[in-house]
Amino acid sequence: MAAEVLRSATSVARAGILRRFRRAVLADPLALTGVTIITLLVLLAVFGPWIAPYPAQGQGESNVAARMLPPSATHLFGTDGLGRDMLSRVMVGARPALAVSVLVVLLAMLIGVPLGALAGYRRGRLDALIMRVTDLFLAFPPLLLAMAIVAALGPGLDHAALALAISWWPWYARLARGTATSLRERSFVEAARSMGVSEVQILRRHIIPNSITPILVQATIDIGTVILAAGSLAFLGLGAAPPTPDWGLMVADGRTYILDQWWLSAFPGLAIFVAVLAFNLVGDLLVDLLDPRSTR
Amino acid sequence: MSAPMLSVRDLAVSFVTPDGTTTGLDGVSLDVGEGEIVGLVGETGCGKTITGLSVLGLLPRTARITRGSIDLDGRNLVGLSESDLRRVRGGDIGMVFQNPASAFNPVFSIGAQMRMALGAHERLPHAEGSARIRDMLAEVGLPEPDRVLRSYPHQLSGGMLQRAMIASALLCRPRLLIADEPTTALDVTIEAQILRLIRGLQESRGFSVLFITHDLGVVRSVSDRVVVLYAGRVAEAAATAALFAQPSHPYTRGLIAAAPHPAARRLALASIPGHVPADVGIVAGCAFTDRCAMAIDRCATERPALRDLGAGHLAACHLAPTAGVGA
Repeated sequence: MAAEVLRSATSVARAGILRRFRRAVLADPLALTGVTIITLLVLLAVFGPWIAPYPAQGQGESNVAARMLPPSATHLFGTDGLGRDMLSRVMVGARPALAVSVLVVLLAMLIGVPLGALAGYRRGRLDALIMRVTDLFLAFPPLLLAMAIVAALGPGLDHAALALAISWWPWYARLARGTATSLRERSFVEAARSMGVSEVQILRRHIIPNSITPILVQATIDIGTVILAAGSLAFLGLGAAPPTPDWGLMVADGRTYILDQWWLSAFPGLAIFVAVLAFNLVGDLLVDLLDPRSTR
Repeated sequence: MSAPMLSVRDLAVSFVTPDGTTTGLDGVSLDVGEGEIVGLVGETGCGKTITGLSVLGLLPRTARITRGSIDLDGRNLVGLSESDLRRVRGGDIGMVFQNPASAFNPVFSIGAQMRMALGAHERLPHAEGSARIRDMLAEVGLPEPDRVLRSYPHQLSGGMLQRAMIASALLCRPRLLIADEPTTALDVTIEAQILRLIRGLQESRGFSVLFITHDLGVVRSVSDRVVVLYAGRVAEAAATAALFAQPSHPYTRGLIAAAPHPAARRLALASIPGHVPADVGIVAGCAFTDRCAMAIDRCATERPALRDLGAGHLAACHLAPTAGVGA
């Protein structure tokens, strides 16, 4: 009977996190906005090319007859220098923007988390070595480092993603190291060691899964930040190349006409702004939700 | 007593910190025979846990074994490589910890963690491994082993978790079980069950146990022999009955007197005045001198050797009577 009580109590606890998430989202208008925008972005990233009013133009097909039209009922966001519907361009642009930033964050986590966990678990000389390497990377402003790497590799979306991941992983290494240093003292880690479980297994099964919470919060916020960084690289001509519907590239393309044809830069710029904002809002919500110490 | 399976000889451990070196163990010797339960008693900080961790090579990074040997079946474990030690841990020696609630990883099921422990030593087909784990859980007295397998640590009670912990430690059929205060975090009723369980498993499976505790009552009920540690040194070692009948070291006598006794309902419990010396490495004589009511001049200057008072009753005290014990 006691077991029955226990079982029902724990099923409540497990459903708890999702329910708490839903309740927190509904109670907080900012978080609700963030979640709504992210949902829309994901839908756009998946279905953009099909739901855009002018899908072919979104992908880059030009229509010179209708160039530089201001926003109107037929072209809500206006058209660009090659007559392409800006709304379609922005909608189709959601996919590369999200894909690149998710890829960058995943790559950064893939490099940073194991290295940080290893450093925090082993301590000593290896820890010092790995942390000095992260210091080396963190000493550069991230965008500057990414620019230098892209400049060395040559421009392109893939190189930009790689460069951003290389300049981003030290954050994850530091975060993972911090939690690993406290986790290594926990008795389940000692118990695992006492049973002869190998170091790799301890890192993989004990240290990393238990340090994933702060890392996920950081990753959520970083997806937004990386959208901005990738946009900046594209703006500087070091990221996506035409005719990719890249938001940063579109802002760059429009900057010569910013005073007369403001819609060229304004709408893709707005898209970047809204996306970054949404991921930050949700990141903040996750911090509140997952960190028991924060009170709000 | 058969030839000792585990033989610790003159083990000394130091902690190296930026503030200097502190001695944790200062020449500890003890034996655990085949199929024997040896209780290791002493107050907090006397080196009980350090002794246990030394055997498994799990000392914290700041600790160094400075001398002595730890022989398991004649093979010295001190200085063994990490990969050799890993085979010993969980393979030859299992360990049970004080707090069962934190000894399991909260994010995996009990079954997954036991499989990990088994996988560290034996490559078994999945079904066979699961059967072994299920049998082991049933053997430690957990009803519905299948449900326990799927459970997460927070879904089980402390007593159930400690049973599961014992099952994990015994999974690869170790010859020695080190139990470090396995019942301290549990209720008294559960404590009695766990003690009975360890005793029962020891009898059916025939492994040896090094039972670490500060609780004399527990030691009395579970162990065949007792080793009393004081400030990183062995104060006394004897068969359980002999030790309680004729404690020969003043520290042991103090400990026994300080234990609450249901028959004598005194309001004030006896206590031993003073404190454990902070660093036994710089104590020239007996570490207990300052707190000992019987101390003579010799105690402060000359360290008493661990002497056999007869019938394997060992005590490190200048004043312990040799004749008295054998009788």
